[in-house]
Amino acid sequence: MKTDSALHHQAPFWAIWANPIVRRYARSRMRPRALGISLLITLMIAGFLFFVIRQIGIYQAELSIRDAHRMPIIPLLFFQGFILFVLGSGQTAAGMTAEADEGVIDYQRLTPMTPIAKVAGYLFGLPIREYATFLATMPFTLWAFWRGEVPLHIGLQLYGVFMIAGVLYHLTGLVAGTVLKNRRWAFLSSMGLVFALYTVVPQASKLGLVYFKYVTIEPVVREFLPYLVESRIGTAAQTIENLAPAAQFFNLNFPQSVFTAGTLLFLIGVMVVMLWRRWHRAESHLMGKAGATGLFAWIQLMLLGNALPLIWPLGGVFPSRGARLFQLPGDDWSPSAEETLVMSGIYGLVTLMILCLMTALITPDRTGQIRGWRRTRKLGRPRLSFQSDPATSFPWVFAMAAIGSGGWFWFTKKLVESVWFGTTDMPIAILPVFFLVTAVGGFGFHALLEGKGKRAAGLAVILIGIAPLLVGVTVGATGEALAPLALWISGCSPVAGPIYAVLTFLPLSNLPPDFERTIPRAFWFWQGVGLLWACNLAIKLRRGRIKIAESTL
Amino acid sequence: MMTGKPETNGHAIEIRDLRVDYGDFVAVNDLSLTVPYGEVYGLVGPNGAGKTSTFRVLATLMEPTYGEVSLAGIDALEDKESARRIMGYMPDLAPVPSDLKVREFLDFYTHTYALGTRNECRSRAEECLEIVSLTDQRNSWCRELSRGQTQRLVLAKTLLPSPKVMILDEPASGLDPLSRRELRLSLQAIAHEGATVFVSSHILSELAEMCSSLCVMNQGQILASGTATEVRNQLGRAERQIAVTVLGPRDNIASWLASQHGVLEVTKSEQHDQRVILRFTGGDHEQAALLSGILEQGVAVKSFEEKSASFEDILVKIAEDNRRQEGSPHEN
Repeated sequence: MKTDSALHHQAPFWAIWANPIVRRYARSRMRPRALGISLLITLMIAGFLFFVIRQIGIYQAELSIRDAHRMPIIPLLFFQGFILFVLGSGQTAAGMTAEADEGVIDYQRLTPMTPIAKVAGYLFGLPIREYATFLATMPFTLWAFWRGEVPLHIGLQLYGVFMIAGVLYHLTGLVAGTVLKNRRWAFLSSMGLVFALYTVVPQASKLGLVYFKYVTIEPVVREFLPYLVESRIGTAAQTIENLAPAAQFFNLNFPQSVFTAGTLLFLIGVMVVMLWRRWHRAESHLMGKAGATGLFAWIQLMLLGNALPLIWPLGGVFPSRGARLFQLPGDDWSPSAEETLVMSGIYGLVTLMILCLMTALITPDRTGQIRGWRRTRKLGRPRLSFQSDPATSFPWVFAMAAIGSGGWFWFTKKLVESVWFGTTDMPIAILPVFFLVTAVGGFGFHALLEGKGKRAAGLAVILIGIAPLLVGVTVGATGEALAPLALWISGCSPVAGPIYAVLTFLPLSNLPPDFERTIPRAFWFWQGVGLLWACNLAIKLRRGRIKIAESTL
Repeated sequence: MMTGKPETNGHAIEIRDLRVDYGDFVAVNDLSLTVPYGEVYGLVGPNGAGKTSTFRVLATLMEPTYGEVSLAGIDALEDKESARRIMGYMPDLAPVPSDLKVREFLDFYTHTYALGTRNECRSRAEECLEIVSLTDQRNSWCRELSRGQTQRLVLAKTLLPSPKVMILDEPASGLDPLSRRELRLSLQAIAHEGATVFVSSHILSELAEMCSSLCVMNQGQILASGTATEVRNQLGRAERQIAVTVLGPRDNIASWLASQHGVLEVTKSEQHDQRVILRFTGGDHEQAALLSGILEQGVAVKSFEEKSASFEDILVKIAEDNRRQEGSPHEN
């Protein structure tokens, strides 16, 4: 009989085929009946897409054989994206939640597999049926590539990035499944995230947040579009692509596919670290404090690095340029002051949102703080370690607010001082205002989260962050006379802070008289209220922390 | 099962100053405990006593506020991976995945523990199924098993890597008497093979039958520990039940007894109309004086009998005391 010393060595984490968790799901999710039905439906849809589009190409549009075979490639890619990205991520999130919900995840925690092998097992095991159905569609794609004379390296790069994106989205599902308790919410939130990536994010990327488009496969599809569609459309696509053929990062140029793959791989690394932390120690925050602050700074850098080179000479960062892409610089096009203000406001808002997200990842709850202090006391140490999970995240939120407002200021300065707006200067005095907006929102959220808990913070997001905007818009829609009231009401929301700051202080701002009077007043009033409120919460929080520290003496 | 003899040096389980907090609630309060090798050691206590928290810390599934835990000499909080290699854990109301069959479930875990080649894994799974008498169910779906069969299946899973230390949290909960008996026999067989079994229950008599030693836990602390008899004596000595049977009416003597020092409660037996039952906290001398006092009252005493408290009585009393304390928050 075997004893513990006779345990064989585990397969390395990269040996996916030998991973017991992958095999476990290969068994349970690939049972002939369920798999058969999935394959049948998938083959019917993929076959229908391929043949009907090809037939229309040949017999209705009278395209060449090559062009007619290229036509189904994009629809098939959409279908494959639906299977692998949407269904796969949802399945991964729901499967992970189900493991926790049923309680069997504890068994898995106790097995001597390494945390990274466990992550790999769930990552490739939970969506295994989706991988199988995706593979079932590939013969049609390969046929289309072969008869459509798509170069091999194009196909390999496209599907290479496609698979990397799939892994990233599945990891996102895995994180959602690890954090969320309800499997239906996990399933829906993961699918919603992928859906938002391909609907909302591209819109944000048109408003100056160019970096976000690299978390989708859209730049790669655009790069290779000339090879994936019929000749006439391909020529037009090539012309558009020639205008901005590379992914620009400050002064560096990268092929779109390389930059996209790099971005996705970096995010995969971040997700793996999050999951590794949780598998290593179930009570861990998803990210360490320094890691989250570093990630925040990195996102700022990427946002700036991708956006700033597009300001001049093409003006590609401005949304209005997209509509007049074929005009050359020096023509009558120039960006409007309004869109510049909106872009700056959106940048500030997104910065604030990312700051709150990072804050939520690193802020300890009361239980965590108490446990941390008791442990510290027992070990005879005078205070909590600065970077430890139970320590307050206050200084880190401060650092992120400083980094965020700096990034926001730099982005706005480059827009405002670009040649498009003559000799307009961006006064440095605006930087403290941007910091105020970021810090008030960030600290308020942090203090609520650390002092009152997740539920209070969530309620505040709904009641203070969203509700005033909805009420304000409703009041504003009632009549022009109520516009000042609507602005006052909306200004209560921290979401309006960045927009109001931009409208109040940027030299480009040219508001109607009513707005010019109301917005600065509303801005200062609400920022003042917010500051007092955040300070009050911060003082209470400090007292609470001292009380916890003393009570554990 | 384990083939080696139980080790004689050190302890299979050693817990020192263990504390677990949930916010302001202290689930385990500076608990210290040792379990020798080769024992079936029971941990008993009412719901909320801190048993599951203690077990989850031992199983490396939960980080305590502080404390030290070692399993077969391995620091379980610092070297979780090594601790997990020698330990098996079965949680309360042990779950099984609904989408696997019994043999697939065990096969999966033989591979996660890397127990050898495919054939070796299969035969180990068969051995464990045999130990828990589930061989006939190997092709059943896990979801179709009864509660008792499920518990035994998870026990088989826990046995797969031949753990030196087994931590079983309420393994008998939800089982019918027959399944309990089978489980008890399985555990005793496992202990005979040399493994140390640490098992919890809120049913004292159940543990008394299967454990070589046990301890009673309440509100995060150990109240008593030792053999079943020792524990009974430690807990039962503070308060004893005395049945007094008199000849003639019992009302007068019942009211007299109620007024005596050390008598907590007097109840009239429903089965016997001449008997009263006392809850008495005095020592042997006070008990003798009480008997003299009854006789001085001129009552004809047919019998004066001290009844030892049953395990269940003790636990019920602990639970009642807890409830009383919760009901009067100013009491310490």
